[in-house]
Amino acid sequence: MAEKLKEQQAIPVSKVQRAAKFISTGAKVGGNYVKHYAKKMVNPSMDKEELHQNNASDIYNSLSELKGSALKVAQMMSMDKNLLPRAYQDKFTMAQYSAPPLSYPLVVKTFQKHFAKTPEQLFDTFTRSAINAASIGQVHQATKDGKIFAVKIQYPGIADSVSSDLKLVRPFALRLLNMNERELDHYMGEVEEKLLEETDYILEVERSREISSECAHIPNLKFPMYYDEFSSDRIITMDWIKGFHLKEWLDTNPSQTSKNQIGQALWDFYDHQVHNLKKVHADPHPGNFIVQENDQLGIIDFGCVKVIPEDFYEGYFALIKQDLLMKEEELNQIFFELEFISDKDTAEEQSYFKGVFKEMIGLLGRPFHVDRFDFSDDGFFEQIFKLGDRISNEKMFRKSKQARGSRHGLYINRTYFGLYNLLNQLQAEVNTTKPDWLK
Amino acid sequence: METATAKKTNKKDYRKLILEGFRTHVLEYGTAPKSIFKFAKELKMKEEEFYTYFTSFESIKSAVWVDIFDETLAQIEVQDVFKTYSAREKFLSFLFTWIEELKKNRSYLLSLYGEGSKSMIAMPKEVAEFKERFKDFANEIILEGKETEEIANRPIISDRYDEAMWLQAWFVLKYWLDDRSPRFEKTDAAIEKSVNLAFDLMGKSAIDSFLDFAKFLYQSK
Repeated sequence: MAEKLKEQQAIPVSKVQRAAKFISTGAKVGGNYVKHYAKKMVNPSMDKEELHQNNASDIYNSLSELKGSALKVAQMMSMDKNLLPRAYQDKFTMAQYSAPPLSYPLVVKTFQKHFAKTPEQLFDTFTRSAINAASIGQVHQATKDGKIFAVKIQYPGIADSVSSDLKLVRPFALRLLNMNERELDHYMGEVEEKLLEETDYILEVERSREISSECAHIPNLKFPMYYDEFSSDRIITMDWIKGFHLKEWLDTNPSQTSKNQIGQALWDFYDHQVHNLKKVHADPHPGNFIVQENDQLGIIDFGCVKVIPEDFYEGYFALIKQDLLMKEEELNQIFFELEFISDKDTAEEQSYFKGVFKEMIGLLGRPFHVDRFDFSDDGFFEQIFKLGDRISNEKMFRKSKQARGSRHGLYINRTYFGLYNLLNQLQAEVNTTKPDWLK
Repeated sequence: METATAKKTNKKDYRKLILEGFRTHVLEYGTAPKSIFKFAKELKMKEEEFYTYFTSFESIKSAVWVDIFDETLAQIEVQDVFKTYSAREKFLSFLFTWIEELKKNRSYLLSLYGEGSKSMIAMPKEVAEFKERFKDFANEIILEGKETEEIANRPIISDRYDEAMWLQAWFVLKYWLDDRSPRFEKTDAAIEKSVNLAFDLMGKSAIDSFLDFAKFLYQSK
């Protein structure tokens, strides 16, 4: 146990730690700009090459220090060098987390803009300060007629700054990922689309309702109700979900049976979404789950939902069939379809990447190859991190300028990593159900 | 008695009429009228009659600023919660409400103070009266902030806080005039962040403790 604890501490898991990491990078990058413009004043002919190199190496240093974090895994599982979209996303949300809470006058103003009423006029009580930070807003608690509500308010100007923020990192990304512009846009487009969706609260309510009703039959899951009369495109009002956040709950030392029940509910929730709805809550971070009495799992925040296209779905999940690793022909075709390898690769590159991907798939598909998987097995995660480290340091991998992997993979990978990580935190053993065609 | 009140309302109406007329003229032609004579003619008034209310276009513009400010204060005072606010929140609330009031006059303000005109670089003269009124209001907030110790009392500097708040309000106005974001959300963010910074600077901080300590060391030598 002591050893396990130490291991967990070694990996910077908490948001604060990762935020600190990124802030120091941010400062360095800022410094690089200052240096660049200072030099440019002396020598106007200087181009930005040096600047980009400095930036890229500082960002890369910082990223590689985050070993074992979801970041590194994301990089690997996407079987690609597309770590930056994920890294950038973290950075983006981090910036929001570090933003000071909205002042109460601004909350009042937001309410007046949308409902022409103050929060006090709308509800019986309304907390003056925020109870929780959401990724791009904050949550207040309100009551009316004996009911308790959670009211999420978006920070002003966020929606507007998504595109310009992403443009800001483009030069870093180009340098860092060693990709050409067209290929980078391929991923950036996906990230931008999702971030913009997250700022659309009307869409979020719609999707929350849809997914919650589709998942209502799954045992041990609880979803809040949403209230249109108190919601707008910047404000969402839903039932207040009482309970503990995952981390707090784990601190209460729940029994293994309880942990398994929560873990199973999580697995079933994702299994149903991915394989039946083809639409998935793509943000499995611990803050979005609340454990209630009797080990019920409350799910909040459907800001990030990924719709899975049919052809991508088939190719992607065909890969986790265990016997597939044998059939060379079929595998080649899927690799081409999912854009892991392309005609532009040399024969040498093709065979190298095929080898790499096969190794990863074998490892990452492991929970799917058995009927019941124990996610408390830290050895399994250790193996994943090691493989990721090894591959990203290989010359062949770093040299390749191709973007690898379909853009749709970005969020699906992230979802599965998040899920694996959550289950690992829970130390849960779950029945890894899968659709019939994969058995 | 009756005639007196009648005269009074009449007087007020003229004042309003001139203000309205001036705003409409600016909105329609993009600039102030050429001369008082022309403007009075437009309003079907005699020029000398006009001078009983205003003596120049500048004084009209000044009255517009003051009206906006008065309306803002009236709006704030309606909110019950305002009394319970801290000094920081009161100032925030003022700026948010002020911007809402300005919004009603955005086109007018843009024509006179927007991009094309250079008058915003130096502060136009016609805001002087508004500035005085604003400073009175700011001083109330500052006084309250000092009582609740939100604002640190520093020799010399703290007498200039009202001026600093005025500059900040002016900054917000300029930012808003250039703001192109939907619903002027960026202005909201700018207000929020700049007020937080200002109050953090005005509040007791490490520097005060440092100065206090340095003073102690120096004096006790």
